[in-house]
Amino acid sequence: MNKVQNVLVVAESISGIAELTAGAAALGENIELIYAGNRSDAVNAETAYYLGDMRNDTILNAITSIVSLVQRNKPSLVLVESTRNGRIISATIAAAIGTSVLTDPSEIKLEEEAVISIRMVYGGAAFKAEKGVGEVKVVCVGGGVFEAGQTRAAGTIVDFDMGASDIRFVEKRAKEGKKVNLAAAKCVVGVGRGFGSEANLALARDLADAIGGEVGCSRPVAEEEKWMPKESYCGVSGVMIKPDVYIACGISGQVQHMSGVNQSKMILAINKDKSAPIFEKCDYGIVDDLKIVLPILTQKIKG
Amino acid sequence: MKIVACYKCVPEEEEIKVKSDRTLDFLKAQWKIGLYDLNAVEAGMKLMEEVGGEVAVMTAADDIVENSKMRKAILSRGPAQMYGIKDDAMKTADSYATAQVLKAGIEKIGGIDLVLCGEGSGDIYAQQVGPVLGALLGWPTVNAVSKITPADRKLLVERSIEDGTEVLEVDLPAVVCVTSDINIPRIPTMKEILGAGKKPSTIWNLADVGAKIVNGSDTISILAPEQTDRLRIIFEGGSEENIEALYSHLRKMRRQ
Repeated sequence: MNKVQNVLVVAESISGIAELTAGAAALGENIELIYAGNRSDAVNAETAYYLGDMRNDTILNAITSIVSLVQRNKPSLVLVESTRNGRIISATIAAAIGTSVLTDPSEIKLEEEAVISIRMVYGGAAFKAEKGVGEVKVVCVGGGVFEAGQTRAAGTIVDFDMGASDIRFVEKRAKEGKKVNLAAAKCVVGVGRGFGSEANLALARDLADAIGGEVGCSRPVAEEEKWMPKESYCGVSGVMIKPDVYIACGISGQVQHMSGVNQSKMILAINKDKSAPIFEKCDYGIVDDLKIVLPILTQKIKG
Repeated sequence: MKIVACYKCVPEEEEIKVKSDRTLDFLKAQWKIGLYDLNAVEAGMKLMEEVGGEVAVMTAADDIVENSKMRKAILSRGPAQMYGIKDDAMKTADSYATAQVLKAGIEKIGGIDLVLCGEGSGDIYAQQVGPVLGALLGWPTVNAVSKITPADRKLLVERSIEDGTEVLEVDLPAVVCVTSDINIPRIPTMKEILGAGKKPSTIWNLADVGAKIVNGSDTISILAPEQTDRLRIIFEGGSEENIEALYSHLRKMRRQ
């Protein structure tokens, strides 16, 4: 595959830095990185610009400086991690150079000079292939699109001058609990409304622990029932997963949810409603109450 | 506070049909207001109730701009008036083009303190129009906002980002994109739905606002996904035997 010349990566998580720089290496010759987190997190880039740990500042204050760097260096391609910050960073870069951000690709290809991105649209009803216009292409990329391979130490690390902005940082409250990386998980247990109550979620966690996987959920579980954090829901507007095995428990199988999980190699379903659409979209299924099935299945996995 | 909340009319995705060549058929699909846009409207109403002022709504699209059902649907949520920028080419406008047109509309109204956008559109969900609009206007712009507290000529906002919550102070005028959990949008009463029909709406064309539609991306294709073939082997009842069968398939997969 032909490559573009220079790729700029903007990322703020360790996995984002590793995945996007790996993707950048596959797509381009030279890699520059703008990153936040620990100074030592930089990998794969010839030059890495360090923003700081962002514990007492907002990355939004660095956007003007990031845009200036893009305008100065004119990379062929900018890959931005699709965090909340990444959305606004990529948008501001694109607005400044007069292009659109290609967001949330499930796949990125180079065809001659064109950067082609394929993304899901209309709640999973379709995939849209699009290409960026202009000299600099900007893509906002989520977890799991590129695989973080072997990393090598970054070349030069430069402290990045944050510059100024018209937004004032007041405080930051760190989130409790561990971060889940559903996009990279090999096995995901999906929690649906069929669990009936939050207390029953222990059944899903036990199964996930036994199998060495993570727990995800459907949108209503996160947004309406609020049993699980918003970051855990799989679907069009949530996380797109591609594990080896997805175990859908008490999940009806709505299009929006299935679009986020149908890249799974194998889908298992447990639901007491025989007519649930999930049974049309799974490889193996059991029609029964998950409260009966899950403990037995977990026990079998534990051996 | 003079507030504009932006919205987009989107097709009901459940009613989009797939043709044999995998292209989409929207003919039978009903239109609706983008789900996340309702949070922006509600956030605007709450702010207005707190500090006074007026909430208007704005959209840029093709003929659907003038659709009376859509107009009532958005105005019944409380806004005093609606602005629509209508052009056929909006059908294929991307985030950059849409933000350009909305910017022209916001500037045409003039004197706006706050533009509110939802998390993302209900159809494409690129989450770009709000941030691009803010950048084009040159106003302070924040996304992922889950709480807004008004103060004198500024806002205190909370951003829900991946690793925690940021509290920031933003001067007005500003563009604020809210999360879908910032509020629960009100359900309009029958009286509000009937009253919505009497509220003023202003329809402009591109020349009226002095905008052009310039896309920053080219669409190559929009096609339904090829279906992944699933085995669909279903066991009825959670008997020991059935669970063992399910487990054996799971075990095989994990060994690969």
